[in-house]
Amino acid sequence: MAETMRVIGDTLPGVDRNAPLLEVDSLRVEFQVRGERIPAVRGASFTLEQGRTLAIVGESGSGKSVTSQAIMGILDTPPGHITGGRVLLHGVDILEQDEETRRTVRGNHIAIVFQDALSALNPLWSVGFQIGELFRVHRGASRREAKRRAIELLDLVGIPDAKNRIGHYPHQFSGGMRQRVMIAMALALEPEVLIADEPTTALDVTVQAQIMRLLKRIQAERHMGLILITHDLGVVADVADDVAVMYAGEVVERADIYDTFKRPAHPYTKALLRAIPRVDAVGGELEVIRGLPPNPAALPSGCPFHPRCFAAEDVCADEVPPWIEPAEGHGSRCHFAEEVYTDER
Amino acid sequence: MGRYVIRRLLQALLTLGIVLFLLHYLMALSVQVRGNPALLFFGGDRTPDPAMLAQVERLYGLDNPCYERTGDPCLAPFVDRLQNFVRGDLGTTLNGNRDVAELLSIYIPNTLRLFAFSVITLVAVSMVLGTWAARHRGRFIDHTVRGTTILADSIPVFLILLTYVYIVAVPLTRWARDIWGTESFMGQVFRPSYNPDYPWTTIIVPGIIVGTVGLATMTRLIRAAQLENLGSDFVRTAKAKGLKPLRITVVHVIRNSMIPIITGIGFLFAFMLSGAVLTEGVMGIPGMGRMIFQAVQRQEGNLVIVGLTVSAFVVVVVSLVVDLLYAALDPRIRYE
Ligand SMILES: Nc1ncnc2c1ncn2[C@@H]1O[C@H](COP(=O)(O)OP(=O)(O)OP(=O)(O)O)[C@@H](O)[C@H]1O
Ligand code: SF4
Ligand SMILES: [Mg+2]
Repeated sequence: MAETMRVIGDTLPGVDRNAPLLEVDSLRVEFQVRGERIPAVRGASFTLEQGRTLAIVGESGSGKSVTSQAIMGILDTPPGHITGGRVLLHGVDILEQDEETRRTVRGNHIAIVFQDALSALNPLWSVGFQIGELFRVHRGASRREAKRRAIELLDLVGIPDAKNRIGHYPHQFSGGMRQRVMIAMALALEPEVLIADEPTTALDVTVQAQIMRLLKRIQAERHMGLILITHDLGVVADVADDVAVMYAGEVVERADIYDTFKRPAHPYTKALLRAIPRVDAVGGELEVIRGLPPNPAALPSGCPFHPRCFAAEDVCADEVPPWIEPAEGHGSRCHFAEEVYTDER
Repeated sequence: MGRYVIRRLLQALLTLGIVLFLLHYLMALSVQVRGNPALLFFGGDRTPDPAMLAQVERLYGLDNPCYERTGDPCLAPFVDRLQNFVRGDLGTTLNGNRDVAELLSIYIPNTLRLFAFSVITLVAVSMVLGTWAARHRGRFIDHTVRGTTILADSIPVFLILLTYVYIVAVPLTRWARDIWGTESFMGQVFRPSYNPDYPWTTIIVPGIIVGTVGLATMTRLIRAAQLENLGSDFVRTAKAKGLKPLRITVVHVIRNSMIPIITGIGFLFAFMLSGAVLTEGVMGIPGMGRMIFQAVQRQEGNLVIVGLTVSAFVVVVVSLVVDLLYAALDPRIRYE
């Protein structure tokens, strides 16, 4: 721990030890597509504390990946631009830092695991080279030292025979092993924040569970903050401490895991929960959310969820709902958050 | 890997055999249609003594009656020719009765030097321009690079050559000699023609000119390959690792873009052969291109066949090397 703090102080001046680990505040990202500005993220806010897991859930296209890329500073620019908001790491707004500092933050403080390890790893370099590269670039390690550390990491993530595997290429690993390599790479510099963007979607079910266990184990050992982006509410229920639900580029509900599942305060969350297939509902129809996800270039007026919402009233099409907190630490962007929370709607 | 190489070598041999046969057949046709090249031995115009003509025909393997029958593939002389080649006997020329093998030993090194400089020019310039354009996609630099290379590509090589030889070379040479002296490296570089005393130095500029053939194609190829890689997931990973843009380009983009680039070089080689014919002609370089051109003019069938076989051999070797480079670069091919 002490060593981690020293590193933070060195590479990121002005850190506040009492500030939350990572705080995202009203983040906005727009894409410039054929002269048009399309908002992909429209004010995402959430907080991640040390040692906790924040799950970000939401339909395809709701802006989860773009949010994580904006935090990492790896948006494709152009066409993507961060047009507002703050990303505070230990109280320091990393969006305001120069490129040099931002590069240090990547890998050293925040790391990311992508969904498809096969395309996320360079096919032409051995996994040992790709992991060792971090030590050589950020720590000035020698080739041998980098190799030694890479072997340790492969061991850590449970790849058998790490000494020999280090020289192998990504295509020589199975899907699950490749994702372990990806995780080893993300963990190399002992980041305080790990973002996992659908880390198990590309894997088969048995392997998914192994990878999730691995992530949880390492998170606990290192006391990392973990942002887990996923479609799988079953996984969320298993591993998350807090949940942020995104819809059309916005965080529409934020709560701890218990409240999210027991007393959702947003109709969209409620609908998502009902869509989980249940083992106990024998013969029951699987509910799906009616309608299609909105087109970010032409969002519905008022509450963007209103065309699909079972609780919508006239006001929903006219007025953008405010952020309402029906309980301490539990917020929802819905005109009727209180009623939904108390299950009156 | 070893079996792969052997398979490719056998393919190469087969290709060469087919090329040789086609060349032989074309030559036979030309004799059948155009008339007896043995007459050339006697200066062309005079009607030689029939006995002497028959002797010369025998000497050059033109005595077979198949040369009288239009369309006959002349298989017997083909087999003779193959046997001679295998023994290392490449024959002699009709004009001047010179040993073909000896001619090749003069011409081949010159052409190889020319190619060395043009490949270096082509690769270096298009790599820099293509990388540069890709990094600034859609902006001023990108458009400028595209415009310039297309311009350079659409000017015929002979125009560049003539401009160089008649307008640029002389003042440049004079200027360089005044400063560094005639015998210096710089004093020779800009010469408008080949100088056998400086076989390397005086081939640099012609090499660079041949290297501009296909510059636009190559630059666009590299730009496209790099753009594809720049937008790839593993480059995003590299960014997430906090690597500097230059390192990302060098380590994660250029190597991944090498495969289309190598393909491009293999492909452009054929174009450069024709560029070499012109360049060697205009700049007076005794090389293979000029040799083949003159051989065709003078109806030196054997010389044409040998020259084109050598160039086919080079193309086959280049494509073999290209395939081996693929394997060296890409572990997915290597471990197939
Ligand atoms: N490079 C890009 N250019 C233009 N638009 C983009 C680009 N990347 C993302 N977007 C847009 O941003 C929006 C959010 O995309 P994002 O990838 O964040 O969704 P997501 O929530 O991660 O979805 P999924 O669950 O499918 O991964 C989408 O509407 C998408 O079309
Ligand atoms: S504001 Fe209205 S439309 Fe939007 S989620 Fe709440 S009830 Fe539904
Ligand atoms: Mg995504």
